Amino acid sequence: MSCNGPIDAAILADYWLGALAGPEEESLEEHLLGCDYCGARLLEVITLAEGVQRLAREGCLRMVVSDVFLQRAAEDGLHVREYAPAPGGSVQCTVTEDDDLVIGRLAADVTGARRVDLCLCDERGVEQVRLQDIPVRAGSASVAWQESSPFMRAAPSMTLIARLVATDEAGTEQLLGEYTFRHTRSLPGPGSW
Amino acid sequence: MVLALSDADLVRRIGSGEDRDAEGELYRRMAPRVRLYGLRHLRDGHAADDLTQQVLITTLEALRAGRLREPEKLASFVLGTCRMTVLDLRRGAQRRARLLERFGADQLLPAPVPESQFDYEQLARCMEALRERDRTVVVMTFYDERTSADLAGFLGLSEANVRVIRHRAIHQLRQCMGTAS
Repeated sequence: MSCNGPIDAAILADYWLGALAGPEEESLEEHLLGCDYCGARLLEVITLAEGVQRLAREGCLRMVVSDVFLQRAAEDGLHVREYAPAPGGSVQCTVTEDDDLVIGRLAADVTGARRVDLCLCDERGVEQVRLQDIPVRAGSASVAWQESSPFMRAAPSMTLIARLVATDEAGTEQLLGEYTFRHTRSLPGPGSW
Repeated sequence: MVLALSDADLVRRIGSGEDRDAEGELYRRMAPRVRLYGLRHLRDGHAADDLTQQVLITTLEALRAGRLREPEKLASFVLGTCRMTVLDLRRGAQRRARLLERFGADQLLPAPVPESQFDYEQLARCMEALRERDRTVVVMTFYDERTSADLAGFLGLSEANVRVIRHRAIHQLRQCMGTAS
């Protein structure tokens, strides 16, 4: 199985998403109806897309999400547990078996920030993980951070500190907000990673 | 051997009389291709299977009757048939939805599809390895099926930039999953 002019996987993804213009889509479809090699590549892209969908539905990914994403998840019947401590404040939180997505809503003014990082720290404030250059919407009043729900379901009771940090071109950091999550394990068992 | 024949030669053999081998080979060759078209446009495996069957029956009838004048244009012919059949299926789906609503759908749920062997844990690791922005683009693209324009609004980027990020992320994911050739 081979092809003289294989179609790029990213173009096949555009096709799968319906993002190609009419004539481009038409010629690609005609090619696909005569080419098993590119058909197999398209199948890979579809499998990848479905895999990402599944990971997203199961809340397996630690990432920043949009409100539109959360709205769509709720419409799909997913249970979204959200905590929104004020900047400088803390919140008691837990995760149950029924929670699909676990969200920390971090209120902050990100106006003018060239780059924003999300730092996840232990209870002493020591940085453990940094999500660099997170997507933030200009003018948005908060960042919706999704923590992996399997990770949180496995977690013991603990305190986690999240910090939003703006970094300028010289690399100077400015704290935009700090948020403390006091997690109490409510699932059976001691919890461990 | 029909296996070695080109699509156009298969069309000629089918058109010249009853040739079960050529018809079988055409079906074997075209079915997965038509199914992909169905998955793209109908977003459902069962509907794609229905489409495949209907398109290939229509195609074989046309070929037997010699209605495809230029055998080299088989792909165009099948593509046209796919489009017409998708329109018909959509109309039928609307009819079915109305009937199900009227008579109750509980008895008619499809059997669950068996789990595939896809390595989700590896995909999760590959997703974690993406840049934050790229991960968000990939998830919102595939989970939410958001357009580049929607994502551009959320990310404060141009549509072209979103497309570049998506392309880069897909290549990185395929590399990480070991499927990039």
